[in-house]
Amino acid sequence: MAVVQFDRDSKAKWYAYQHLKVDPGARTVYYLPADAPDREIRLLEVNTLIADMTDESLEPLDYGVDVGAEEEHKLLVLDVTPRQWEAISRGEIPLPKGWALEGAIAFNRRRGQ
Amino acid sequence: MNPSQATWWRQARSDLDVLRLLRRNAVAPCHQLHYLQMAGEKIAKAYFWRTGAPPAKKHAGLVSFLKALGGTGGSRQALVAATFEFREFKQFQTWIRHVSPRAYDLEKLAPALAGDGPNPEYPWPHDAPVEYPAGYRFDLWKWLGESGSGRQFSKVVEIAVDRFPIYA
Repeated sequence: MAVVQFDRDSKAKWYAYQHLKVDPGARTVYYLPADAPDREIRLLEVNTLIADMTDESLEPLDYGVDVGAEEEHKLLVLDVTPRQWEAISRGEIPLPKGWALEGAIAFNRRRGQ
Repeated sequence: MNPSQATWWRQARSDLDVLRLLRRNAVAPCHQLHYLQMAGEKIAKAYFWRTGAPPAKKHAGLVSFLKALGGTGGSRQALVAATFEFREFKQFQTWIRHVSPRAYDLEKLAPALAGDGPNPEYPWPHDAPVEYPAGYRFDLWKWLGESGSGRQFSKVVEIAVDRFPIYA
């Protein structure tokens, strides 16, 4: 398979806005590029509609996009409640192993969305 | 479709068969909601197994599944839209946004997420039960049965199961 250029930052931005567009529960999407492999996109989504669980072990969901395609990459999405996000920001809940908030880029709903 | 996806899909199909059986026999809404919720959850798990690795236990449910479909890129958009009987992919995305709050409601019917409130399986509250599922009027049921968007939502869940091999 030919290896094609993969623009991770653009792709991450595209996914973030797609998710804000289709999910009314998604309030802010954070793209976390720090320490991520080249073809892995890590999104942390603060969601107001998911159930607030007491279990604080956070595990991202692999969306499995473009499997087997030239642009194959991983899209990992971690949904957290606003309460969990506050706790993560204060360092009270650890992010998944290898994830970091340094250099995080926030995406919010565009006007009209 | 990989073998793990096929395994989850078979169970989703069986759940859907039961739902159709319950519907034909006008069984209490709680049981129909239960099987709709389970069919949705299992087709979501089948979808997320596409990576070949086990999906995260939490949030690998119907809403994430719809969001993943709504975030489909490139040439697959037309296939996904056509499979779910939408003329354009943008219409499908708009529809997902419209029904997502109800998809969250359906997902939260699972007892593990319902807390001490309405769920389709067990009486509540846990410590002093006064309500029971078969005697409860679920708002979600009213929406599913009495609104066009509700009926369309049920139809899309059924399509998701029936046509899984097309878009898996």
